[in-house]
Amino acid sequence: MTTSTTQAPGGGATASARPPGRRASSVTAHGPSLWFAAPALIIFIAFALIPLIGVFALSFVNWNGIGAISWAGIANWQHVLTDELTYNALIVTAKVMFFTYIIQTPIAILLGTFTAGRQRYRAFLAVLYFVPPLLSSAAIAIAFKALLDPSFGLGAGVGIEALSQDWLGNPDLVLFVVVFVIAWQFIPFHALIYQGGVRQIPTSMYEAAQLDGANRVQQFFYITLPQLKYTIITSSTLMVIGALTYFDLIFVLTGGGPGYSTRVLALQMYLTGFKANDMGAGATLGVILVVIGLALALGLQRLGGKNQSASQLEGA
Amino acid sequence: MKFRRTHVFAVAAVASLSLGVAACGSEGPSGSSGTDAAVSADAATMWGLTGGATETVIKESISSWNPAHSDQQIKVDWFANDAYKTKVRTAMGAGQGPTIVWSWGGGTLADYVKSGQVDDMTSFVQSNPALAKKFLPAVLKSGQVDGKTYALPNNNVQPVILYFNKDALAKAGVQAPKTWDELLAVIPKLNAAGVAPLSIGGQSKWPELMWLEYLTDRVGGPEVFNNIIAGKPTAWSDPAVIQALTMIQQLVDAGGFVKGFSSIAADSNADQALLFTGKAAMLLQGGWIYSTLKTNAAAFVSSGKLGYTTFPTVTGGKGDPANVVGNPANFWSISSKATDAQKKTAQSYLADGMFTDSYIDTLIKAGTVPVVQGIESKLEAAGSDKDFLVSEYNMVKNAPGFQLSWDQALSPGTADTMLSNLDQIFLKKISPQQFADTMNATLGK
Amino acid sequence: MATSTLPAPTAGIPTRGRRLPRLSFTRPNILGGLGGCLWLAIIILPVYYVVVTSLKDQASYFTENPLALPSSPTLDNYRLVLQNDFVRYFVNSVIVTVGTVLPVLVICFMASYAIVRGHGRLLRLTNSMFLLGLAIPVQAVIIPIYFMITKIRMYDTLAALILPSIAFAIPISVLILTTFLRDVPKELFESMRLDGCTEFDMMWRLALPLVRPAVVTVAIYDALQVWNGFLFPLILTQSPEKRVLPLSIWTFQGEFSVNTPAILASVVLSSLPLLIAYMIGRRQLVAGLTAGFGK
Repeated sequence: MTTSTTQAPGGGATASARPPGRRASSVTAHGPSLWFAAPALIIFIAFALIPLIGVFALSFVNWNGIGAISWAGIANWQHVLTDELTYNALIVTAKVMFFTYIIQTPIAILLGTFTAGRQRYRAFLAVLYFVPPLLSSAAIAIAFKALLDPSFGLGAGVGIEALSQDWLGNPDLVLFVVVFVIAWQFIPFHALIYQGGVRQIPTSMYEAAQLDGANRVQQFFYITLPQLKYTIITSSTLMVIGALTYFDLIFVLTGGGPGYSTRVLALQMYLTGFKANDMGAGATLGVILVVIGLALALGLQRLGGKNQSASQLEGA
Repeated sequence: MKFRRTHVFAVAAVASLSLGVAACGSEGPSGSSGTDAAVSADAATMWGLTGGATETVIKESISSWNPAHSDQQIKVDWFANDAYKTKVRTAMGAGQGPTIVWSWGGGTLADYVKSGQVDDMTSFVQSNPALAKKFLPAVLKSGQVDGKTYALPNNNVQPVILYFNKDALAKAGVQAPKTWDELLAVIPKLNAAGVAPLSIGGQSKWPELMWLEYLTDRVGGPEVFNNIIAGKPTAWSDPAVIQALTMIQQLVDAGGFVKGFSSIAADSNADQALLFTGKAAMLLQGGWIYSTLKTNAAAFVSSGKLGYTTFPTVTGGKGDPANVVGNPANFWSISSKATDAQKKTAQSYLADGMFTDSYIDTLIKAGTVPVVQGIESKLEAAGSDKDFLVSEYNMVKNAPGFQLSWDQALSPGTADTMLSNLDQIFLKKISPQQFADTMNATLGK
Repeated sequence: MATSTLPAPTAGIPTRGRRLPRLSFTRPNILGGLGGCLWLAIIILPVYYVVVTSLKDQASYFTENPLALPSSPTLDNYRLVLQNDFVRYFVNSVIVTVGTVLPVLVICFMASYAIVRGHGRLLRLTNSMFLLGLAIPVQAVIIPIYFMITKIRMYDTLAALILPSIAFAIPISVLILTTFLRDVPKELFESMRLDGCTEFDMMWRLALPLVRPAVVTVAIYDALQVWNGFLFPLILTQSPEKRVLPLSIWTFQGEFSVNTPAILASVVLSSLPLLIAYMIGRRQLVAGLTAGFGK
């Protein structure tokens, strides 16, 4: 394992200077104490862990938000698990997850590879590319709502009938519009991650391949992609877990409509709790959301290998 | 030694954070956070809805009230219609609801009463007889739950009216339809002339409800909805409801509604924009949009291009063609969680601050009909708005029945289900029968 | 590492100065260039539309071609937005963002240090708990958070936005910081300890400077998330005094109704602060995020 070449302050002192027996006991006796982690732990428990337990508890009560809370037993669960809307929300969420993944990942990889190149114009383009993730989801949603207006937006401007579709009002089209806007917002972010990953690939590999007569496309598939394995895992994890929680953008853009066609699970939860005023059912949906999130996270971790604790300089 | 140092550091970090939190959090639920220097921390709070005449009249009313009542100040926060409906409940649930609460009466008010959120005003009204005598009796009733008064009217009558753009109709060579068959007949002609026949704020859903309300009433009369409210089993399967839903889908199939109607939000008045820019010929909406139109499309209104009429009749229908649907008015209630001082302020305002002469004049000038008695002469003197106001007033005065908007008459949970399913009807995703079945399951809840 | 005589490019450090033997062929990558320009168009078009429309007045918005430049451009929309308390919303956003990111940096750095350098079951448990936190969707627990915040009387305060934001920033921040801290060789700590330093000293004097890129990454990422956060303000605040920027442009829709140019002007203004920060600190931002997530 190659160590990094940072300057060590007491340069020469290495482990060999210490008698082995003493080393073992000093390591276990002198680590930073739990108190270092206490503030983070306290706040995390208070505002993340306790609500997590709370959402589980609230799924067993009846509460309309302004009245008293009463015990409901498993009534909420029965209602939610037999509700067609719940399954609709699951399907919509799954669709959004799937489509945003297969659209964003290839484009992000290509873009990342593109901007990893050293040409000056590419650096300039990269500056512009990174603007969308800086904008708030609300801003983007409002901008696209105006842009996609059939009467006053893009379609009307360019005069192409096909672009003047009822993008946001047609239940069959709206899902793809949502996927498109999500991709518009987040591809640059993932492209940045891939750019970092590509820049880490040693040029020696490309040189060797070129000597062997590989063309650009082959280099991409046989060198770039395999070397990006860990990057793909990181980006995919962020993308998939993130897809579970898209809320702001969809809320402002379509409100879950038209009908129920863009009501992802997170939105269904919000609308059940705060619009239909059934907090108990909303909490139940929240629990489902958490369970799915945990399952996905664990699954992805399993898939990506367990090397989370080891230093990732290995293998360089 | 090291242990103690990190120990102290960690504790200090958490302690300083909590101090900061406590400092911020000590702005307790005593109403506003008092950053407004002119208004004291114990001021009564009021939430007003943006848009239209009511916003104007509330602004004027409060700005003349506050200087004259330095010890009974009122602070107003503004919300858009759809946002208000959600926000007010979150606020109430947090104990931070406004002192003076806006509502439409009906089921939402009943819900507030059931949850103990608003005060009983019956004795207050009885000790102020002049107050009760001001209002149109039918309107006062909507502020009552189980015979007790919980809310007082605060603005104008709001029947639902069929508006039209005279130029757009002329372009297709048609007249505003008086019957349902005429409506179906003008649709192809309008489409051929490149004008959308009907605008509608589909994304907000409650504009779609206006169609269902009128059609049900025209076809089956007011008893149909009365049965629903009474919770009679299978009341939603009434043939009148089924037929009304079928007629709606007929209208959609015929290309009656503007393309993209599902994504048009009423809150941003996009539905009105289609009307006054001539992209759509007709719009079924509440009386309140007249004043918004006066602001946003002054030329359109003043040049007489805006037309208005009653909802078409349905041949063979049981309902009286003079029946009207909409909102009798909007109401103010007093929050039961407010402090005594705030409640007193609210009561003073309700007794003396509303419907003064200038209040009434402001409403009329903005193009609306105040819900008070004895204003016929004022309406006649209303200048360019006279025609609209007088006809609106007569529409309400002569109506045998004035049905409160269903989404306000029903309980909030049922209303939400109804609106979502109605949306599906407009999108042709479910059949009328499916709608009835789903809604029947909500009866008695 | 085979035959290369060049050092492998380390994460995030721009190697622009090195003259690499040119990999590209004599003919330029036309397809790549085209793709790049196409993507540029996709990015720019909505931005162009928003800016152009925000400069039109309402009447011309309805009548002119949406993509055309305004015939009589006006700054009235911007004036309107600024008059409507825009500055206050901006200040609120700053307070919430700084109030979240600073504590996060401090407590997460400390916690990460403990996790990497410390021992014991509790610390390992803490680490697992934080990692688990990555999978908790914020939306799922918003109802109990609302309930809690109202019970401790913090509803409609900026603190109500800050505390949960800190809590939910902890998992990713700890993850990034621990990843970087693990790369610091143990020998360095050992030698410092032999010199008599406490863990506390080592944390600030040795570890912190060595993982500065990670700290920058965490700061930038968290700041972005909090600044653009919408859900917490939507549910936990109500009064205009406590409104933050993303929420304000949402409420402007109701206030300005049909005045789309004004609404889009508010969109532009609300995005400006981050865009300006981006222009100034671009290199830091990009280097930081690349370094942090590239691992």
